[in-house]
Amino acid sequence: MQGVVIPISMVPGDSIIHRINPLPKLAWAFGVLVISFATRNPLILSTLFVVGVILILVAQVGNAYLKVAMILFPISLTLIVLQSIAPAFPKPWTPIVSVGPFTIFQEGIYSGISMLLRIFAMTTWAMLMIMTSHPSDIFTSLQKIGMPYVLNFILTMTLQLLPILQNEFAVVLNAQKSRAMKGSGFGAILPSMVPVFVGAIERVQQLSISLESRAFGSSGHKTSYRRVRMTFWDILLIVLGIVFTAGMTYWIIVDKSLDWSETMVFHPAFAIGLVVFATLGFLAFVVIALRNVLQA
Amino acid sequence: MSESKPIIEFKDVTFWYGQNETEPALKNINLTIHEGDYVALLGLNGAGKTTLQLCINGVVPNNILGNFEGQVIVDGKDTLETPVREMAKIVGMVFDNPEFQLSQMSVGEEIALGMESLGYSYEEMVETIDEVLDIVGLQGLTERSPFGLSGGQQQRLSIASALAMRPKILVMDEPTSNVDPIGKEEIFQVAYELNRKRNMTVIMAEHEVEVMAQYANLVVVMHEGEIVLQGTPEEVFSNVDLLKSLGLRMPQVAAFGNELEKLGIMTLNGHYPVKLSQAVETYGRLFEKKAG
Amino acid sequence: MEPIIKVEDLTHIYPTGQVVAVKDISLEINPGEIVGVIGQNGSGKTTLVKHFIGLLKPTSGKVIVNGKDTAPLRVQQIAANVGYVYQNPNHQLFARTVREELAFGPRNLDLPEDEVNARVEQAVEFFHLEELLELHPYRISFPLRKLVGMASIYTMRPAVFILDEPTTGQDNITTQTVYRLIKKLRDEGSTVLCVAHDMILLAEVVDRMLVLRDGDLIMDATPREVFSNYEIMSSTHLTPPQITTLSLRLREKYDAFDNVALSIDEMVSEVQKFSNK
Repeated sequence: MQGVVIPISMVPGDSIIHRINPLPKLAWAFGVLVISFATRNPLILSTLFVVGVILILVAQVGNAYLKVAMILFPISLTLIVLQSIAPAFPKPWTPIVSVGPFTIFQEGIYSGISMLLRIFAMTTWAMLMIMTSHPSDIFTSLQKIGMPYVLNFILTMTLQLLPILQNEFAVVLNAQKSRAMKGSGFGAILPSMVPVFVGAIERVQQLSISLESRAFGSSGHKTSYRRVRMTFWDILLIVLGIVFTAGMTYWIIVDKSLDWSETMVFHPAFAIGLVVFATLGFLAFVVIALRNVLQA
Repeated sequence: MSESKPIIEFKDVTFWYGQNETEPALKNINLTIHEGDYVALLGLNGAGKTTLQLCINGVVPNNILGNFEGQVIVDGKDTLETPVREMAKIVGMVFDNPEFQLSQMSVGEEIALGMESLGYSYEEMVETIDEVLDIVGLQGLTERSPFGLSGGQQQRLSIASALAMRPKILVMDEPTSNVDPIGKEEIFQVAYELNRKRNMTVIMAEHEVEVMAQYANLVVVMHEGEIVLQGTPEEVFSNVDLLKSLGLRMPQVAAFGNELEKLGIMTLNGHYPVKLSQAVETYGRLFEKKAG
Repeated sequence: MEPIIKVEDLTHIYPTGQVVAVKDISLEINPGEIVGVIGQNGSGKTTLVKHFIGLLKPTSGKVIVNGKDTAPLRVQQIAANVGYVYQNPNHQLFARTVREELAFGPRNLDLPEDEVNARVEQAVEFFHLEELLELHPYRISFPLRKLVGMASIYTMRPAVFILDEPTTGQDNITTQTVYRLIKKLRDEGSTVLCVAHDMILLAEVVDRMLVLRDGDLIMDATPREVFSNYEIMSSTHLTPPQITTLSLRLREKYDAFDNVALSIDEMVSEVQKFSNK
């Protein structure tokens, strides 16, 4: 069942980035998110992406990141396909080339490419944060800046539950195969999903009784066992992150020349090639993923 | 143990889950448990053992709603008037599925969960975590993930999490039903030591009658929501016919004594040995007489 | 007689962690044998039996079931011959009614509908499921679900029946049904493999025991031999049934005592033999 497991969790290590407090990392990841949404400029987005990748390499979490990227890339290719024929842009659109009933638009290709870059810039930085910080430390830090305790708990539990459910799914699939379940396709979905969900519900019911019995959910003053240390450098990093984000956002809003949607012109052959590549890439991914999930 | 004071008292307790249930889950329960008792709760699945146990810390009827009649007094507190979080300082609960009780990223955090809710200081938590891990024999595992532990270790972690709030009573609902023999041994050992060395009151629902006969001083037999028998292991396991009609097993050495008596090989007047050591002595006489 | 299961130098190494789960195991199981598989969790017993239905494939060595090498076969192909009852029934129940649940397996085997129905009826009778047939499997109590889980494999009539911890956490009523099932399977000539920690059950129903420790098959003998072997029992942290321990202790103390008893009945006849001397 390796194919189904998406390894978004901490990769233990001792790099300089691992040693930074989660809050500055969170501040920077959030800053990149804000900037990525503020602009469509391919140069800014790809710069953020490249810097993110460099930091991923510095943190030595490249392998884990690559696994996530390999799943993310084909999925985000759909954006190129969808955007090229129906851009998220105010009309009128400039057509580049028509193939049968479909027309590929200049704005569409621009928008597709920038969205792809945007997703990669954001997720690279988010992965950098997640893969170099202990989840408990992230949640404890968030709690310090005001996240409710219960929300913290729900997030923690969800993170714990995901690998368990994946594991349960594998067990159930084996149990049904042992009953000669007819291979794959939709016929296999019900027998393999129902037990997993019912099991999850039973688990949560049991857990809630167990938690109540341990005074969980009391009103009143709460304390935290996890301690996250904050140094001068961490605070400096947070300040720099905020300044950087604010500065970039200001620049993006003020400098209209950063909008390249008119100036960056695509050759029809490039447009067709890109759309075809994206379609095939996505389809290949879907086929491989389904085979992995259902046949295993 | 009769000199020690009562710590749990059930007075005419009847409980229905939901309005539409015709049969109550508990029927007219009257039960007194003393401080330092080791109580074995026996009965078929669905006999009401779990419901009875959930009454002890007030989860029934405060969190699991239903029709509740009667009164449960635990360490001087009426469970109807005491919030469950207060009860957590008196009663620790351990359930049958080890994994279904765990939720945290590390053993330390798992144990700290209850203490955080009650507002313990950081220093107190660190100290307590070390202490309870020591009691259950999981020293040095503070940073490990609870989900990477063996079933027996997970169950001992659940015990430790309950102990962190320094309860006087430990309630365990079939704690060994999902672990392997080594795990079972470990759990029974921890419960035994808590009972003997720390005078903790233990209430354990269990199908392993041989082990229960070994450790418990009070055996309570439930059937269809009622308590049908209670007494010392020797008293309870002399009721062979009743237990059989309820579909319950008794320790093999006691059942053996009953067979011998029925066949007229040995006269025991219903006083069957329930522990292995007793049995070796009692049945040894059969061979000694002949040899002599 | 051709063995129904033949294992030749089986080694299995899990791809993650490089743990050698079973090492160099060779054994044969004949049709109609009732075999107990014991050992602690992690000793390799589940890994071993999973090979018999093809859920795992050997890293090296061979597993031959019913004359066929399992390596190229899919689980679904082996399932007609080998039934695997999971410890937790919740892992296999999904249908809307108990009846559908029981029919799922035989339908997958492409049996004609009247044969499917006949098998469902037989299973219902044996497991006493009459009143549950139209209920949702999740609306019934856990012990009954356990019976439905067994019944849903029973309807497939496999030649080899693998029971994973059939009595763990079960009360005496469910346990008695497991006894009846194993005895019935024995009468029908099926082969049964029972992976269990329940020594009282095993002592009474199995002919042979496989003892595993850290991936090694350390003993393959009758329950009487296994339980009498103090070294094996203590090194695997397993405890014989109380009555067996009693007979061992008495034998140690009084040499007039001959055999090790596996059940209360055996112990009684041992005493009778002695008093008749």
